[in-house]
Amino acid sequence: MRLQDRERVSKAIRTLKGDRSLDSLVDRIYEITEGSVALDRATLQRVATGQTRVTRAIDSPEDCVRLYFALMIIGCEEELTLSEIVGEGRTMLAGFVGEPLATLVFADLRRTLPKLTDVRTLREYLEEGLRVWLPK
Amino acid sequence: MATEVSVVVPAESNTLRSEEERLRGMLAERHGIHIRFASLPGARAILVSPMTGRRPKGLVVDGSVSAAERISLYVHLAAHVALRHDLPLVTIVESRSEPTSGDANGHSDADQLARAMWWGTAARAELREAWPGRRSRALRPLLASRPGRLGLRVALLVLRRAYYGLRARRVLEGSALTRWLRDALCVTAVVCAAPELVSTRS
Repeated sequence: MRLQDRERVSKAIRTLKGDRSLDSLVDRIYEITEGSVALDRATLQRVATGQTRVTRAIDSPEDCVRLYFALMIIGCEEELTLSEIVGEGRTMLAGFVGEPLATLVFADLRRTLPKLTDVRTLREYLEEGLRVWLPK
Repeated sequence: MATEVSVVVPAESNTLRSEEERLRGMLAERHGIHIRFASLPGARAILVSPMTGRRPKGLVVDGSVSAAERISLYVHLAAHVALRHDLPLVTIVESRSEPTSGDANGHSDADQLARAMWWGTAARAELREAWPGRRSRALRPLLASRPGRLGLRVALLVLRRAYYGLRARRVLEGSALTRWLRDALCVTAVVCAAPELVSTRS
């Protein structure tokens, strides 16, 4: 995939990773997505530092959506605020798949968010959301 | 679907737990809903629908919700599915606060259909087949009022205690009377947990 706003995506990923190292972030994404997003360390390093627009191993919109859920789950683990997690997650997704598809995927979270009153409940929503996007 | 149970029950009854397990299996088999339990401080349950209908839906239920309330949730969610509210990429959240959770996901319609499915009075045959409706309709008028519900619940719990305390099990185990009482205890507990399952409107 080619990122549409590498600077903004870079900032979103750096925010969502919290205090984690990029190495640990790659490992956690791999675990959360059950190996379905095998982002290599060098690529993530370049994406997170805004040095590239091309993301190897993220070849399809489904990969991007899984990465979107995984990064927001990591944001929950890093105890970011609800608005940081949601805002940066949406920005990251739009940077990867473009505004129309991001709006479609994000619409459910936007509708659901008023009822997800705490980060713990948001995290369960994200985990279930990711599960239905995992390959069979 | 607010809980109004105020009777102190020492532990979840095995009748309720086995009924909950049976209905959980039925939701998976007939409606493709995969259920897991987790801590959900802000909601009672979340039903996530995938992009395509070929994949199972994911239902997360708060671990603190009682077996009776879980049963009422399942029938309510089966009603949502029957009403086709489970659109791709649309999540249905069952909140804690509002009795019918507003109408953003058509909860009122689902409540109405859930009543018909629960009592086996759904007009459409496919709905009667989609959910094994409760046939003990003699209970329905007794459960229509809050005092009636609580009175019947207390009476059934006393009977249950007597059944085990007086060792009546040796004589009555497997009898029609025992089956009816177990069923009545289950129905009463579920309706106490979800009073919207009884209404004079349907």
